[in-house]
Amino acid sequence: MKPVLEVRGLGVSFGVLRAVDDVWFDAEPNAITAVIGPNGAGKSTLFNLISGQLRPTVGRVVLDGADVTVRSPHLLQRAGMGRSFQITNLFFELSVFENLRLAAQRLESKRRMLLPVGRPGPARSRVDELIARFDLSAKAGDLAGGLSHGEQRRLEIAVAMAARPSILLLDEPTQGMSHADTLDTARLIRDLSRDVTILLIEHDIGVVMDISKHVVVMQHGRKLAEGPPAVVRADPAVQAAYFGHA
Amino acid sequence: MRDPSTVLVRPVQDRLTLAMRASHVLVAIFVALALAFAAIGVAIDDTFYLRLATEALIFSGLALSVDILLGYTGLLSLGQALYFGLGAYVSALVLQRVPSFWAAMAAALVACVIVGALAGLIVYRVRGVYFALVTFGLAQVAAKAVYNTRELGASDGLIGIPVVPVDLGFGTVQSNAPAGFFLITLGVIVVLYLAVAYLFETPFGRVLIALRANERRVPFLGYSPRAARLAAYVLAAVVAGLSGALYPMLRGFVSPELLFFSTSGNAIITVVTGGVGTLAGALYGGVILTVLKSVIGSWTPHHLVVIGLLFMAAVIFLPKGLMGLVRPWIERLLRRTAR
Ligand SMILES: Nc1ncnc2c1ncn2[C@@H]1O[C@H](COP(=O)(O)OP(=O)(O)OP(=O)(O)O)[C@@H](O)[C@H]1O
Ligand SMILES: [Mg+2]
Repeated sequence: MKPVLEVRGLGVSFGVLRAVDDVWFDAEPNAITAVIGPNGAGKSTLFNLISGQLRPTVGRVVLDGADVTVRSPHLLQRAGMGRSFQITNLFFELSVFENLRLAAQRLESKRRMLLPVGRPGPARSRVDELIARFDLSAKAGDLAGGLSHGEQRRLEIAVAMAARPSILLLDEPTQGMSHADTLDTARLIRDLSRDVTILLIEHDIGVVMDISKHVVVMQHGRKLAEGPPAVVRADPAVQAAYFGHA
Repeated sequence: MRDPSTVLVRPVQDRLTLAMRASHVLVAIFVALALAFAAIGVAIDDTFYLRLATEALIFSGLALSVDILLGYTGLLSLGQALYFGLGAYVSALVLQRVPSFWAAMAAALVACVIVGALAGLIVYRVRGVYFALVTFGLAQVAAKAVYNTRELGASDGLIGIPVVPVDLGFGTVQSNAPAGFFLITLGVIVVLYLAVAYLFETPFGRVLIALRANERRVPFLGYSPRAARLAAYVLAAVVAGLSGALYPMLRGFVSPELLFFSTSGNAIITVVTGGVGTLAGALYGGVILTVLKSVIGSWTPHHLVVIGLLFMAAVIFLPKGLMGLVRPWIERLLRRTAR
């Protein structure tokens, strides 16, 4: 199957630090590719390179066969990329509903940019669907800033996928969640992967082994290993570098 | 056919829409008060207060443009006087040649779109303090240029702008008729308010609000923050310019002071006093400030000191401004009646 995303020799330096260094991998359609590695391995930086926030010094990003290496984030979004953030990045002073509506409004035709919000339409039904799916109906009218941490993390994912991206980058979606919430969220992400390609940064190894099809292991900005979960887990280098620390 | 999930979720009342409805109520009250004021003015054959109130409304329009940027998009412009002055000068220049209200308004609109878009190409790259400084600098440059241009009357400005008949289709009002022109100005400001309020209730306007709420996430909604900033800037320029275009019709002259920082600064004080991010606050604030200036100005020549102190008191004791205080109360009323 043709990969949705191809990461080819991507690298970026911050001064002398090579935060991401010659990373290659592909993300297969409708599957979860997990990116794991110790703190500071360069995982979030890799996401920033893929989603256009940072310009790589070297390497290319190919989305659906098109080179998108130097595209700005908003154009990448329009090309079908969605992402969530490790540090919750919502519109805290707006309601849960409005956070989702804003994230979904691109589903409407351009013409409706200047017609009143709140009319029934694709954006509105998408929001209703997401509110139900992410169990936020009791909180829909609340300010995003007033939600509990776990709720904010759920909203973070919902916002990222609201515009129906073809590839979804999730940066530690379960960070700071209780164990039960983590398992719920993992199940949700697995369900999502039926319709969307997912690139997932996740620290919970149990979750990674459970739901991902492919695992990329990073250390010191480099790709240490990659392969199916079981193979990666058995890799002695990975054992030493990663599971040793965990 | 209906998506079953839409049935499960109770429709939420959107806070932003509710807040805007509350602003509508406040503006409706404002208009009712203004009409009553005009009726009294006509009854007692007043000129002075009607003309003072007209001037207040014109500066309310400028304050409205500041609120678009500050209250909704999260951008502090220290140079909105640039567009207020541009509108006023363009209007004056047109009126010197063609005595047409509509031609003057249209010319001011076009000039503000063009200059706003050009200046916007510099301004849209920056935000925060840099945005404030760049807008300040642009307005200073424009003010100095006008001040030194003999064709524009230099430091004297343009004087002797003729009285203009305002053709409304069903009748004509002269710009020197105190009550008539007060109502025309009220009409223009209300139309500007309604247009701006409408825009903030569209997906376009919500992107501007998103910019204020969290600019870093806006690109990940699929919108360029810079393009959004440019759009807000041009919109605010147009609102300021159309308000400014009324000024020479009322006063019969324009002067470089219209472009000075004091004009921009007063508009910011107006918005902060009236309530940032309420739109209605710009209208009330314009009246409050003009009344204060003229009343206190008749007591003491140091009225700016008094206004400065009142401004500080407003910021400290009414951090959300007058409307910020009143509006939540109306929102509660509206929410209750909606149930
Ligand atoms: N903008 C930046 N400027 C300088 N250094 C940076 C920048 N962003 C990240 N770094 C550094 O790059 C390295 C990789 O950071 P990154 O956030 O990508 O790691 P990570 O794998 O996501 O770690 P974590 O698991 O803690 O989230 C770290 O040493 C970090 O300090
Ligand atoms: Mg990280």
